[in-house]
Amino acid sequence: MAIPGVRGASLVDWTSGLVLGTAGEGPDGDHEVAAVETTEVVRAVVDGGSFTTTQTGKVPVEDIIITGSGGYHLMRFVDTSFESSVFLYLWLDRGEANLAVARFRLQALADRLVLV
Amino acid sequence: MTAPGVRDMTASRFDTALVELADDHATGALYGRSGVVYLCDGVVVHVESPSAPDLGVRLIACGRLDPEVWRRAVAEAGRDRRVGGFLVEHGCLTRGELELCHLGAVFDAGYFTLLPGSRPTRFLSGASHWLGPVRPVRAEVLRREAGRRRALLDRVWPWPASDEEPVVRRPGGDAHGGHGTGPTRSQRDVLELADGSRTPAQIAWLLGRSAFTTVLDVRRLAAAGLIETPRQRTAVPTAQRSAQDRLPQTTAPDISLLIRLRDALEAL
Repeated sequence: MAIPGVRGASLVDWTSGLVLGTAGEGPDGDHEVAAVETTEVVRAVVDGGSFTTTQTGKVPVEDIIITGSGGYHLMRFVDTSFESSVFLYLWLDRGEANLAVARFRLQALADRLVLV
Repeated sequence: MTAPGVRDMTASRFDTALVELADDHATGALYGRSGVVYLCDGVVVHVESPSAPDLGVRLIACGRLDPEVWRRAVAEAGRDRRVGGFLVEHGCLTRGELELCHLGAVFDAGYFTLLPGSRPTRFLSGASHWLGPVRPVRAEVLRREAGRRRALLDRVWPWPASDEEPVVRRPGGDAHGGHGTGPTRSQRDVLELADGSRTPAQIAWLLGRSAFTTVLDVRRLAAAGLIETPRQRTAVPTAQRSAQDRLPQTTAPDISLLIRLRDALEAL
């Protein structure tokens, strides 16, 4: 993987927390648990009017970042012209990762999913 | 083993029959009351249900695909069973778009096809779908996901009758009042099309979006008191049954009373 400090990644459908694909390892060694928990976060943000009222795009939020003491957790929405509910989840080692680089690369990755 | 033919189904549950066929590496179409699952060498390659908008409806509704392009793809590549591949090769869709949209449609149709009351009616061995291969899904994953979606709905509002009945806006239900931030944009889209005669599936087809998400929105709207909850339950989820059995079996429970009671408790 070309993103420095990355420990694992997954593609998740937040309709229910379904894992569509994985790479590397998941936190606690389990991608499925991470998918369910990140889905709860994503749904709270998407359903919460505070974050979405002024947005007009199909995807109301671009990404969500959670900073843990040991790692970063990035959730990047995949923007499609048709209705979909998919996000990319990236788990990074806090000591090795550069958050700005990771966020930039994750955006490119999300775009590539749809453009290629 | 894969010679065309109709196999009589002995399993009483659709999901059991599906997993058995997958274990046998079967190829063909398994028909049920509310949908069809296509298998190829034991993996699920396509699912369709009259309740769930298909790939074409989804791509056309949002303007991503011109209806004429879709029609031409089906006409030219349908016989060869490769409509999906045709769309990508002709630059009408990217591979990623095809896969993401198809996965969304498969799990959406899978939810309705694998509803607990659905029994397998027949298995047409050797049958394949005109869309052609896109991205296969293991039968066990489809079965688990359908179960997870049912559990999600029951956590929101355990009232399956809401899923198939016409959606009726509740008089006095204020979409912008009460606690919290009110209905989400997705829920407002559903409310706008709720004319008292359209079912959640019909609303999903009009919007060209996931029927399961529409049902989920309907249950959330019912829980929030913004739409009427149908009086009759079409089915009672297992987790609710024991509590239901203890209630006096005189009339259907008065939902508006329950909602008023909940509102009163919240106001304390």
